Amino acid sequence: MTHSPGPKFALPVAVFLLACFAMPIVIVAWYSLMPPRTFDLGIDLTLANYHTAVTEGYARPLMWSLLGALITTLGTALIAWPSAVILHRHAGRGATVVSVLIALPIFISESVRLFGMNVFLMPRAGILAGSLDWAFGFKIGSILNTWMAALVGMIYIHLPFMLFPLLLGVSLIPQDRIEAARDLGANRWQTFREVELPLAAPGLLIGALLTFVLSLGANAEAAILGGRAVTVITAAIEQRFNYAQDWPMGAALTMVVIIVTAVIVLPVLARLDLNRLTQ
Amino acid sequence: MDKDGILRASAARNPLRCSMQHSLARRRFLQGVGAGIAAASLPGMVAAQARPLSLLTWDAYADPNLLDLWRTQTGVNVRYEIHISDPTSVNRLRAGETNVWDFINVNNPWARDVMWPAGLIVDLPRDRFDPLYGEMDEKFHLPYKWAMSADGEHLLGIVQRYETFDFVVNPDVISPELAKDEGWDLFNNPDFAGRYGILAYEDWNVMDMCMGAGVHPFRTKTDDEVAKYEETCNNWIQNAALITTDFVQLNLAILNGEIDLYFTGGTYSTAAARLEGVTELYAITPNSGPADGKGGINWIELNSPVANPDLHPNIFDWLEYITTPDAAELVARGNGNLQPVSQMANPDVMSRFSADELAAIQWDEFDERIANAVEFDIVPDYDRLYDIYSAAMRARG
Repeated sequence: MTHSPGPKFALPVAVFLLACFAMPIVIVAWYSLMPPRTFDLGIDLTLANYHTAVTEGYARPLMWSLLGALITTLGTALIAWPSAVILHRHAGRGATVVSVLIALPIFISESVRLFGMNVFLMPRAGILAGSLDWAFGFKIGSILNTWMAALVGMIYIHLPFMLFPLLLGVSLIPQDRIEAARDLGANRWQTFREVELPLAAPGLLIGALLTFVLSLGANAEAAILGGRAVTVITAAIEQRFNYAQDWPMGAALTMVVIIVTAVIVLPVLARLDLNRLTQ
Repeated sequence: MDKDGILRASAARNPLRCSMQHSLARRRFLQGVGAGIAAASLPGMVAAQARPLSLLTWDAYADPNLLDLWRTQTGVNVRYEIHISDPTSVNRLRAGETNVWDFINVNNPWARDVMWPAGLIVDLPRDRFDPLYGEMDEKFHLPYKWAMSADGEHLLGIVQRYETFDFVVNPDVISPELAKDEGWDLFNNPDFAGRYGILAYEDWNVMDMCMGAGVHPFRTKTDDEVAKYEETCNNWIQNAALITTDFVQLNLAILNGEIDLYFTGGTYSTAAARLEGVTELYAITPNSGPADGKGGINWIELNSPVANPDLHPNIFDWLEYITTPDAAELVARGNGNLQPVSQMANPDVMSRFSADELAAIQWDEFDERIANAVEFDIVPDYDRLYDIYSAAMRARG
């Protein structure tokens, strides 16, 4: 009888995953059951922090984060789809240059990019408002320090995370299928809905998952562009860990976000067929 | 736009924006952890001699010129982490990082009231350090309350940077004299709703809102006083045009005419821009207020040796070094900022600052501001007040 060596080879990776991924979550979960504003892990477990999370207005920051993530995912998809189609089918050699230009900002600190956006959106002497006034005498207000500005920032920051998986998805659509659909009388909308969208779905789903999860944890956009017009859940968590020195409450909110994210993301992941992307 | 450029450039000098720059903080934290693990893995003697002097510090003490001068004079390497807030760093020591750090500098009450009773710091040899207090501003001559343990026996650190930290106005819109007279009521005035910003140094915001509610921030509050605080807190947060952890953003908003004033702020947030010629920023300490008749808050930084079981042998040399005229000057100019230091009582140190620099820190009224301010202390009822504050933040949008 022969034993498969697989488990032995997998052991180091399994230990690494347990120590570096599972243990921190276990510790956070344990902290979330400690009495409020304590620093030690003990055995006096309580659900007080989860009760506070439900009764003390934390649904609102969670709602802003979920809504922001949803709008960002939809917004980036709407921008990325035509961009991906144009880059794949029409841009030719220019596609590489454009892709690099889109990818480059990822290598610059997010805070720096957002401060750049802040200066761009600033009223009066800001780059946009000031230039329009100088060139055309056209005076505009500004969305800076509103939730709208935070959303613009989130779409700006997260676009590459949608675009590149979608490029991969669009590349899975054989041109002859589109031509066949057209030959059979399908109009553009029908071709898009019945042929292109299903074939590009794996790329779209991966892009949507990446964008949604990253946006849910986004904090800097609401702080730098939004002027804290709204409090997102990550800012509320940061407050509990930092100025409130309430680690158990911060841990409970973290667990809530992890659970909500899992409830939304896992069903989508279950439907995702990654083999399609590698064929 | 030229002034905007100056302010944007000074953004790089703003360490407190780091609360949002997790990657940087995380990298520094990991460096610290890495160094700690490396040191722990070496035999004790070798580790003590080989590891660098480790500072958990505000930005001024991480100034490259200050560290270069120290290395040149002693040959001892330094590593540092710029911290985010007093309570966070104190709790890190509490959580076991006394093994990692040799030096911590936090605001005045923490050493005497928290770190010393909890055994997180060690005292200084008095024969070596008492004389240094004689060279400081008279306010700090021993026995200086915040430098000593409650029993008056132990010297807990070296006082250095200090100032008042209250609010900032655009003097073209609100005259400084009017602002000093009106004090915190400016933020209660409906005319300024939507015309001010909040620098979200949140523990300071809580103290300011106490002042605005007519409540002494450092005394235990009655339920009526908490109710007044809650009303002020809700109004101030709802009526703020913007709330940010970045004072450069607030300075830009004043320059750009979006807001006319902001709290919390002071020399720390305005001096670098004022030195570059920006005249639209003016630090205000109210002439009066509810804290024993005073409306300002005066922080004093205390530099202390951590109760590290393997304390770096050069820690006391470092503490003495930072008080020397050359080092004190570098601390005052730390990371491109300008802050008054206790050693400015020494004519040699004072002579190193130009008239423009003294104007930038509003030195002509510095004594008046200190006189109108109560010394920073730990806020009783802080947990209750902070929960009201964070609830108001969540209700803002």
